[in-house]
Amino acid sequence: MMRNSLSADPSPLDEAQTVLDMATVRRRDALRLALAGAAMAVTPFAHAQSGGTPKRGGTLTIGADADPIGLDPTTVTAYSSYDFTALLYTGLLRWNAEMKVEPDLATGYITPDETTYIFRLRQGVKFHNGQPFSAEDVKYTFDRILDPATASPSLNLFSAIKAVTVVDAYTVKFELKTPSATFLSYLATNPNGSIVPKGVADLKTKPVGTGPFVFESYEPNQQFTLKANPDYYEEKQPYLATVVFKFFKDQGSLASAIRSKAIDMTWFKDPKVSAQIVKTTRDLVSAPGKTSRTFPVWMNVKTKPFDDVRVRRALSLASNRTACLQTVLGSTGGKVGAMVPESQVGGYDGVSAMPYYKHDVAAAKKLLAEAGHPNGIDLGDYIVVAANALDVQCAQVLQQQWAAAGIKVNLKPMETAPLISMWLKGEFGLLSVALSWSPDPDAIVSRLTSGHSHGKAMGMDDAQLDKMVIDARAILDYGKRAAAYQQIQKHIAEQAYVLQIYQYPLRWEAWRGHVKGYVPLAANIRSFVRTTWIAS
Amino acid sequence: MTRIVLVRLAWMLPILFGVSVVAFALMRALPGDFAQAAAGTTDLSPEALDTIRRGLGLDKPIWAQYLLWLGGLASGDFGSSFVTHKPVLGELLPRLAVTAELTLMAGAMAMVLGVFTGLASARLRGRTDWFVRGFNGLLLAVPNFVVATLIVLLAGLYFPELGIFNYTPFFTDPLGNLGSMLLPAFALALAVSVTISENTRAAVLEVSSQDFVMVARAKGLRPGAILRNYLVRNALTPVITVTGLQLASLLGGSILIETIFTIPGMGQYLFDSITSRDYPVIQAIVLVAAVIVLLVNVLVDVAYARVDARVSYG
Repeated sequence: MMRNSLSADPSPLDEAQTVLDMATVRRRDALRLALAGAAMAVTPFAHAQSGGTPKRGGTLTIGADADPIGLDPTTVTAYSSYDFTALLYTGLLRWNAEMKVEPDLATGYITPDETTYIFRLRQGVKFHNGQPFSAEDVKYTFDRILDPATASPSLNLFSAIKAVTVVDAYTVKFELKTPSATFLSYLATNPNGSIVPKGVADLKTKPVGTGPFVFESYEPNQQFTLKANPDYYEEKQPYLATVVFKFFKDQGSLASAIRSKAIDMTWFKDPKVSAQIVKTTRDLVSAPGKTSRTFPVWMNVKTKPFDDVRVRRALSLASNRTACLQTVLGSTGGKVGAMVPESQVGGYDGVSAMPYYKHDVAAAKKLLAEAGHPNGIDLGDYIVVAANALDVQCAQVLQQQWAAAGIKVNLKPMETAPLISMWLKGEFGLLSVALSWSPDPDAIVSRLTSGHSHGKAMGMDDAQLDKMVIDARAILDYGKRAAAYQQIQKHIAEQAYVLQIYQYPLRWEAWRGHVKGYVPLAANIRSFVRTTWIAS
Repeated sequence: MTRIVLVRLAWMLPILFGVSVVAFALMRALPGDFAQAAAGTTDLSPEALDTIRRGLGLDKPIWAQYLLWLGGLASGDFGSSFVTHKPVLGELLPRLAVTAELTLMAGAMAMVLGVFTGLASARLRGRTDWFVRGFNGLLLAVPNFVVATLIVLLAGLYFPELGIFNYTPFFTDPLGNLGSMLLPAFALALAVSVTISENTRAAVLEVSSQDFVMVARAKGLRPGAILRNYLVRNALTPVITVTGLQLASLLGGSILIETIFTIPGMGQYLFDSITSRDYPVIQAIVLVAAVIVLLVNVLVDVAYARVDARVSYG
């Protein structure tokens, strides 16, 4: 259906070419665009729409565990807002269900050289306020992101952009400072790459986008209501007339709500809770999770004794990652982890050899003795997020494992806000907090570079790692880039800067049987509410 | 009487001033501010965080922030929520009404349950006494959020048609509203009823050993009349005090009960605001809660005078 209108249409390339009169479009670029088209043709819509012909109308009620903090995609910093921006706004590109980038507001792009991207835009698209969408809006959006006064969290992600120019009403050119492998991934990510209408203020409270759903009303702590966008550009979509988010701050209440049919869909933080509910509730569909997040133990390498690589390696050797994984996640799809989760470029597969990953208490003791701690060592407080039951469980298991190697820690569960503040200021010894989802491994590993504010806080100063991270950013070839991130992960494990324990799905999604056409995404948003419909 | 009440009310001002200072300072003494709490682990540069803080006025010295806030209060402006960007007062008042309803319902339930079990315990003694006291001991040991969670989980499992999360605003459907408040109010009432029950029991036991009760019995009054006219009336004074004092714990309990039952009241609002470090909201709620507790204390004093002839306020 709508795929055909996109993929079978070769005009974007032709048009861009004629408009720009570019004789230098290389074969490779034409190929890339063709590939994008091919990827679209096989997107799992057959799978998504299995179960009959989509029915129009109806309301989908989603149980959410947090209120949004602001709805302007350029300035939102809170994870909890993404649920809403993902339905309200769209970007030039988007992720498909296989986590491949595909065109969205753009119809295609060409790259005349490694630092220039020219996007051809969809015509006839309207913002929710009726304003027509054009290249001016794209330029406005990115100029705003790149203006430091906006304080956009996307500024770091798009720092490679040199300039955005409007070529004509439906063609826009991005010039980069250096070749960037992350650029397209971030463009495809909501809310970072979401396009906002030029000259519309107060998006924070009155969102205006091009997305499949229009903002209707919001009562804090109660519900957030969206209505179908009648002008949405994908043919026939969205099928739903209304999407309602209801807020349940307590996981027990959330579980009870889906059981009692107060909501149609939600996600759980704990796989065991999720499994239990799916087992005890008839007609509940649970999504197989994709690992997109890791559980790290951050160490402050500028403070004693963590400045000694032998102590860090001893900790790594004293940790039995598989045991943690089995105790905490059971058989729910987790894997042993490294810096990069498996669903990303160069992600760790959970089985191949990593330096200092083998559980070896004797070797750990020996290293500690060499470092001058023959009778064991007390590492003081190990800070974890109290609200995250999985984190606390894993920390408890680690505490016991480390004790076997003569390493003592004092477990200190804390409230999230002060914990993050301590983490970013480097006021800790050992601390665990999982990173929020990012579309590209660069966002993860660049935190460990000496120039990054977070790297500085942790006392990172490794010129070799810095260079590896910067180089990997500019590798456009997928295979080579994957190899580069595997090297980086090995290096981090070798130096034991961060102990990565396991990787796991961000959340465990569940929905009732009458909800059709929905596909969960490894990203932390629900893009496919646009293809969802309610069977009677 | 009127003069005393007025003096009491006047005393509220310095107390509230103190509360405002404490509420303001305590929140800012907590590590992790709004900008940080909202961003979570999102990779935000320190400069961007500072820009957000500047936008909210959090870069100013604390005393300057306090004076600004106090100035706003004087003109009835409680500030705007960092999260929703809406004026706090407009959000708070409807929630206050919801919490008031929940608290009153819970208070009434606790009163009925507490006085009834306390009386039964004191008058019947024996097995009833043991049972009531055992029940009270159990409830005292189990916090109300555990009871609430149990109700929510069990109702979701065995009575899904009950619709425990269908909170209905009072003006849309008054009966439905009362129905949706019943279970949460019950969960909130249980713990408070224990205190009332134990106090009623103790008071009734104490009063029943007084001479005037013996006299009443000796002159042949029926047990029902003795209970009504002598025992209950005399035992009521300490019970009223306790119930008044329990209001603070009802308000405190409503934070968790409202969160668990997803009732859009003040308690749930406070819980959320503390997690997100939404200072203007927290400050406003603390102040409003302080006003309520102070007012109830004055009311309790007045109620004394009504039930106990010995108490008079000149």
